[in-house]
Amino acid sequence: MSLDDHTPSIGILANPAAGRDIRRLVAQASVFPIAEKRNMITRLFSSLGRLDIGTVYMMPDGNGIADRIRHALETPPPTGQTWPRIEFLDMPIEDRAVDTLVAVDKMAALGVGGIIVLGGDGTHRLVASRAGDIPITALSTGTNNVFPAMREATIAGLAAGLVATGQVPVAEGSVRNKVLRVDINGVQSDLALVDLCTSTALWIGSRALWKADGLDQLFLSFAEADAIGLSSIGGLIRPLARSAQNGLRLNLAEPDNAPMVVTAPLAPGLLVDIGIEDVQELRPGETIPLRATSGVVALDGEREIEFSARENLAVHLEWDGPLTLDIPRVMAYVAENKLLTRMNQASGHAKRANQ
Amino acid sequence: MQLSKDDLLKAYRMMKTIREFEERLHVEFATGEIPGFVHLYAGEEASATGFCMHLDERDKIASNHRGHGHSIGKGCDVHAMMAEIYGRGTGLCGGKGGSMHIADLSKGMMGANGIVGGGPPLICGAGLAAKKLKTKGVAIAFFGDGASNQGTTMESLNLASVWNLPCVFVCENNGYAEATSSKYSVSCDDAADRASAFNMPGVVVDGHDFFAVHEAAGEAINRAREGKGPTLIECKLNRYYGHFEGDAQTYRGKDEVKNLRATIDCLDQFRAKVTSASLLDDAELNAIDSDVAELIDDAVEKAKAAPMPAAAELLTDVYISY
Repeated sequence: MSLDDHTPSIGILANPAAGRDIRRLVAQASVFPIAEKRNMITRLFSSLGRLDIGTVYMMPDGNGIADRIRHALETPPPTGQTWPRIEFLDMPIEDRAVDTLVAVDKMAALGVGGIIVLGGDGTHRLVASRAGDIPITALSTGTNNVFPAMREATIAGLAAGLVATGQVPVAEGSVRNKVLRVDINGVQSDLALVDLCTSTALWIGSRALWKADGLDQLFLSFAEADAIGLSSIGGLIRPLARSAQNGLRLNLAEPDNAPMVVTAPLAPGLLVDIGIEDVQELRPGETIPLRATSGVVALDGEREIEFSARENLAVHLEWDGPLTLDIPRVMAYVAENKLLTRMNQASGHAKRANQ
Repeated sequence: MQLSKDDLLKAYRMMKTIREFEERLHVEFATGEIPGFVHLYAGEEASATGFCMHLDERDKIASNHRGHGHSIGKGCDVHAMMAEIYGRGTGLCGGKGGSMHIADLSKGMMGANGIVGGGPPLICGAGLAAKKLKTKGVAIAFFGDGASNQGTTMESLNLASVWNLPCVFVCENNGYAEATSSKYSVSCDDAADRASAFNMPGVVVDGHDFFAVHEAAGEAINRAREGKGPTLIECKLNRYYGHFEGDAQTYRGKDEVKNLRATIDCLDQFRAKVTSASLLDDAELNAIDSDVAELIDDAVEKAKAAPMPAAAELLTDVYISY
């Protein structure tokens, strides 16, 4: 709820660190400036302000987004716009992933009716790990993402606001997502929204996974043929919709030793030959032990977990992932129910029709 | 890139040598025996080591006022460096340069530099020479967030791009230009963002993680060696001491450095990773610790005992003939 305790509220979480990783060096990944994230956020404000959203809660940061928003708030909104009240969460800033987790927890405690996320697959993965049943509006800030889409923030803001205010029922406008969960020694550890890949690389290092060398097993919650990144490997062999019941699991090999080779776009501008040993569907609840005894696990394209022979890792697919807004479906509902349409009784047409 | 056991041992020894060198200088400077200023690199070791591990005799580096780590990384003699800082005749530059002018051209170390933003133009020259002579050499400039705002740095980024030079620009962003926060003084979000304006890749890397730096550095250096042009890499890191020794650091949080040492120290991270992966054990790392402690003890002892430069040498080494 908002500060006035009766109007709906929404959280906005923008990752200030997204878009500066090594893929700018080893591939031609896009650079998404903070200035554009700030512009997207103010466009969200313009939509949310029209929909009786009382308060927008935002994650503070030390990298510039919060400062730019505060600066924007020092002057009146553009003519014709009314912005909601903007509150930055009271929380410590570490400029690390933990900030996102803390912010989502705080937004949940404040009872927000939705969280709008600006970031890549990694940011959405973090939000998904804590958001529970709060609907997420997923907005991509870069060209290297699969889970969030590149969308105009004005429309995303309308959709998020209409759901948060109850004008569009959550059930009408949202979908449940699958997740891939990794257990370490039998204890649930982390999750991936799209792809979970093991590599014989020893270090997390610069995080991104962009080389075929050492890729061992790949688990996918869905696989689209036109995707970028690791999920494209599955997408080009056996496409699988987000809504499909199962996921995929692939055993990978050196291209020279593999019965099948797929040329996959692992990053923008980077096409890599990947050897495939076999591909199988992954059923929900089915637990697959990792075959490597040491290496790293990449979650949604980024190396996150280093493991050795001391740890037993296993992966399973579950249907308990985040609830995300299906923006085209929300807006179709809006059109069908004329939620943004009104008759103008004062117009000449209306007067004539009433005579 | 997988590192061999020898590589890992070398990397740890390099980082540990830099750390001990700086920690000892912190103690020794307080005695008043060291002339001039020293700017300590403690906390930033993963950056110099992550880059210098990829370099060989073909390559050149240009450093800045905080240059001890880069010098050790490029192979400068530790005894001669210590003597130089003590202003002794046995120093790398005859004891007449001091901390901020340590140089050893025979090692490809083109000099620490008292001029903020002085290093980037130098590597354009070194890079142009390597390109023209077809040595496959690479030139690297280490500079800070303050220097990232200097015109010389912008001009160098531009020139390196226009001439497609084998250069790597390493912005070691430790959060403060002297006492001014980079969040205030750097107009863009990350210094690496400036790369796109000069038509080159710009990457941010965790400068506390040797493996992250080493990986990104390897890609950028190979790219330069293969004639594919310059790169700007921003290492986000922290220094454990003030801008200079004696800096009261009133601009830093009360427990800022204590927390950094406890949570993200590059040497601690390195030890934890390699022992956890069973690639090295504590005994091997402890043996390096002992070696390095002896080395630094010996370097300080010999530096203190070494003679001052002779008065007759006052005007030598001022100019050089080509």
